[in-house]
Amino acid sequence: MHDVLYFLQQLINGLTVGSAYALIAIGYTMVYGIIGMINFAHGEIYMIGAYISLIVITGLATLGSAWLPLVLLVALICAVIVSSSMGWAVERVAYRPVRGQHRLIPLISAIGMSIFLQNYVHLAQGSRNIGFPSLIQGGITMGAEDGFQTSISYMQITIFVVTLVCMTALSMFISKSRLGRACRAVSQDLKMSNLLGIDTNRIIAATFVIGAALAAVAGLLLGMYYGSIDPLFGFIAGLKAFTAAVLGGIGSIPGAMLGGLILGVAEAMTSGYLSGEYKDVVSFGLLILILLFRPTGLLGKPEVEKI
Amino acid sequence: MVAQNIKHALFCAVITLIISYPILGLDLIAEGIQIKLSGADTSTYIGIAAAVLIVFLFQLFRPAITGSLSAIGAANPLRDRKPLPQDKRVRLERAALILIVIGALLWPFFASRGSVDLATLVLIYIMLGLGLNVVVGLAGLLDLGYVAFYAVGAYTFALLSQYYDISFWVALPLGALLAAAFGFLLGFPVLRLRGDYLAIVTLGFGEIIRILLNNLTSLTGGPNGVGGIPDPTLFGMEFGRRIKTEGNTSFHEVFNIPYNSDHKVIFLYLIALLLAVVTLVVIRRLVRMPVGRSWEALREDEIAARSLGMSRTGVKLSAFTIGAFFAGFAGTVFASKQGFISPESFVFLESAIILAIVVLGGMGSQLGVILAAIAVTVLPELAREFSEYRMLIFGAAMVLMMIWRPQGLLPMSRVHIQLKQE
Amino acid sequence: MKIKLNKLVVGVSASLAMMASGVTQADIKIGIAGPMTGAVAQYGDMQFSGARMAIEQINANGGVMGEKLVAVEQDDVCDPKQAVTVANNMVNEGVRFVVGHLCSSSTQPASDIYEDEGILMVTPASTSPAITERGYELVFRTIGLDSMQGPVAGKYIASQKPERVAVIHDKQQYGEGIASAVKSTLEDDGIDVVMYEGITAGQKDFSSLVTKLKKENVDFVYYGGYHPELGLILRQAQQAKLDAKFMGPEGVGNKDINTIAGDAAEGLLVTLPPSFDEKAENKSLVDAFAKKGEDPSGPFVLTSYTAVQLIADGIEKADSKDPIDVAKALRANTFKTPIGDVAYDKNGDLKSFEFVVYEWHSDGSKTPVK
Repeated sequence: MHDVLYFLQQLINGLTVGSAYALIAIGYTMVYGIIGMINFAHGEIYMIGAYISLIVITGLATLGSAWLPLVLLVALICAVIVSSSMGWAVERVAYRPVRGQHRLIPLISAIGMSIFLQNYVHLAQGSRNIGFPSLIQGGITMGAEDGFQTSISYMQITIFVVTLVCMTALSMFISKSRLGRACRAVSQDLKMSNLLGIDTNRIIAATFVIGAALAAVAGLLLGMYYGSIDPLFGFIAGLKAFTAAVLGGIGSIPGAMLGGLILGVAEAMTSGYLSGEYKDVVSFGLLILILLFRPTGLLGKPEVEKI
Repeated sequence: MVAQNIKHALFCAVITLIISYPILGLDLIAEGIQIKLSGADTSTYIGIAAAVLIVFLFQLFRPAITGSLSAIGAANPLRDRKPLPQDKRVRLERAALILIVIGALLWPFFASRGSVDLATLVLIYIMLGLGLNVVVGLAGLLDLGYVAFYAVGAYTFALLSQYYDISFWVALPLGALLAAAFGFLLGFPVLRLRGDYLAIVTLGFGEIIRILLNNLTSLTGGPNGVGGIPDPTLFGMEFGRRIKTEGNTSFHEVFNIPYNSDHKVIFLYLIALLLAVVTLVVIRRLVRMPVGRSWEALREDEIAARSLGMSRTGVKLSAFTIGAFFAGFAGTVFASKQGFISPESFVFLESAIILAIVVLGGMGSQLGVILAAIAVTVLPELAREFSEYRMLIFGAAMVLMMIWRPQGLLPMSRVHIQLKQE
Repeated sequence: MKIKLNKLVVGVSASLAMMASGVTQADIKIGIAGPMTGAVAQYGDMQFSGARMAIEQINANGGVMGEKLVAVEQDDVCDPKQAVTVANNMVNEGVRFVVGHLCSSSTQPASDIYEDEGILMVTPASTSPAITERGYELVFRTIGLDSMQGPVAGKYIASQKPERVAVIHDKQQYGEGIASAVKSTLEDDGIDVVMYEGITAGQKDFSSLVTKLKKENVDFVYYGGYHPELGLILRQAQQAKLDAKFMGPEGVGNKDINTIAGDAAEGLLVTLPPSFDEKAENKSLVDAFAKKGEDPSGPFVLTSYTAVQLIADGIEKADSKDPIDVAKALRANTFKTPIGDVAYDKNGDLKSFEFVVYEWHSDGSKTPVK
């Protein structure tokens, strides 16, 4: 019983982080699906989302607003607005002018953008770890009083629920709405959609905006869950989320979800049963293995080599 | 049209405000145990307002501005210059390379210690750039984990010297060979992956190597790194103030001159220069050999190359291994220059910088890579006064270069062989 | 060949000597190397504030041997790689005396360069014994060693008679060094350490670690490292309802841990140097800090002040600006400083230094524990 509860707890830990990874991974997977580039600056967008939420929460606290759902909602909205604008601006400034060039060019541009944004926040906000107030406290505990207890905090439940809501909304949007249909069309064949009168520039910009908005949501949630933020924490999270996107099959939205969850659980289990030091080795090792044996990821469609 | 322009300009201005004000204008500061928000100083607000205004005006008059910009471009007298004839350009490039090498050989004797030190770093980046150029520029394989091989070379020397007292000159070929072996072993399974997937796998590999170095504390010292790496010796003469290895003599005692720490720096520089020249010449020759030709053939058209009977894996593997070999070279020199290495020196950013050197130089072009390595290493040092803004400017410069000159500083041009025309 | 090279070298060194003599050195440059940015920049703030104050006061009193002290400040981000670059910059700037570095893992590689280049170094904060045990001539410190601090913590833990103790560290020289000192003290006292594990500095998710601690049913956790990680561990442990006492070294004892951990920081135990700012004889100095709007209560402020003062006193005593003479003077004499009377052994370690156990509170204050 003891071991089962322990396993369960590690599973919950893994799923929590994994679902947040999935939210960030959406941004990578959608952008890659449409223009085939790795948006290295996406992790920084997530980091900016976390900063904006903290700024808003702190600001509201000074103003004396205390009703928690309102505080969170305002923080969320502001973070989404700023991050989406950032996503839009980044695409407009750094990626659109180099679109269609050799595939290394947008990649370098993206890496440059990532360095730029990291230092932008670093210069403006300093490089220290800033504590993020834990607004959602408490949780549910299972297990005997004297033995090991498995607990799910309300924070973890919030992360699951919000991720689920976002994912459902995104799937609905992609499959039902006009813009979503256009997104799918563009990801299948950019040139053809252009010929059919779809404003591909707008669709690509929309992809960046959607990805950035979801990253901002993840920024708020993970910032609160972990407890501190700093200008560098976007990069490694971005790398993880990107791994998740590739794992699930880059270009596929359910794949990003699956990849995120698998990655989160793999990390938690490695820390839980081996050592926390090796969790990154396991996640990158998993990535390499998947790519070697199933290069398109778990849910990706095999690519036809065009001649 | 004008109304639409105004609308668009307003939109852009608002976006600029949204992305700059909350981050720049509202600072999170810790006051005792509380986190407080504080406004920034007035100059920041003026800066934000100026940025918003500039964006607004630029977007409003965008057609006019871009028009006048292209007019400047048209006024460039060199624009219509005809490219130099083939043979002349080749000779010019060779002359430039030789001149650079001669200049590089002489100047440390007149320069300050700091600049020689920096120049050694430039040479290390030149080696790395030239090596990665083989993989990315010539063979067209996107490698985002090149720094792993650099780390292998550096750690080989550091650990061998720590555990077995192996000197620089023995470790140099060992480090390079071990790095090449890693390249070979990694290349074997992954080279059948295409383009971006290859990039991702190499990125993962680079991170794994770094994390392993960080975690195998008992062997590599973990995050604390390995220190006390010996300097290279010259025929058993050491350049330090005190002799570290028994049996060695001291350079300043042998020549009976006062101790001067500049000797060590200059000597290291000369070694780095020698190795960089070796790298340059070897790769230059390789490119003209059948193996070099097949790299480019495979890059240009994989299917055509394979139907001509080239082994895809063999050709790619050779490029990958040779690239790794020179990274190992550079790693050994780096370890010896720093006297200390830690996993922090081999993060992804380092891979990105080397890749930026290759792309900035003009993929495949050796002279370009050398110029780019100098630019990427020296410019941030010159910007020391703006040291805070250094990385910010570096990132922005990377983006701008890709937008304005994606083909690089000196794009490579194929050397054709022309039949003599009577 | 040999003759030629010889000539070349002589020529070069002669020209360099001429260049060097052309510059007359009117000031004494004091390098201050520590983290201005990065995760532990607040300790750097303490270091810079203490050292700057000392330089100001010494200059106001007429300088050293009639010459002014000039600060050369460099940021090493507490990263060993940057520390090497900083050390080389110090050499290139012509600095002969350095106050720094702060983190042991930075001090260690930088000290190799300083020793080689004949630069005297006084670290106000690095506690790792490895730094001085190599017998370097020019390396000193104004703080105690992990081998003094670890036993203080270990003895205290043993006196509390905990049932299951876990020792966690961040794998860096400082954190791991002190964690292993604590572990061996505990084992000598017959207390079993049920878990000894490293984490990666900069990591944010400790939920798995906390779960593991819960499974091992520990009631006492010692953490060797800095506050950003311990703050998160405390907070995530509170969320997961882990009921254990936490303890850390001076690297966790600053108010930033409260902004990260919130209430979870209440009751944290910290070993710190005694509060020098509360000593009566430092009253005027504390007032001088207060006048500048700075806080002298941080553990490294007065140790940094002392480091500068020792360099100045050493130069005066040796009557020479040669670091080797100054090092000899530092070893031969006893100095009166804000951290008490300072005397050095042959390795450059303080002959005596005391660490005290404090209890940390959620409002950022601390009280000594008996």
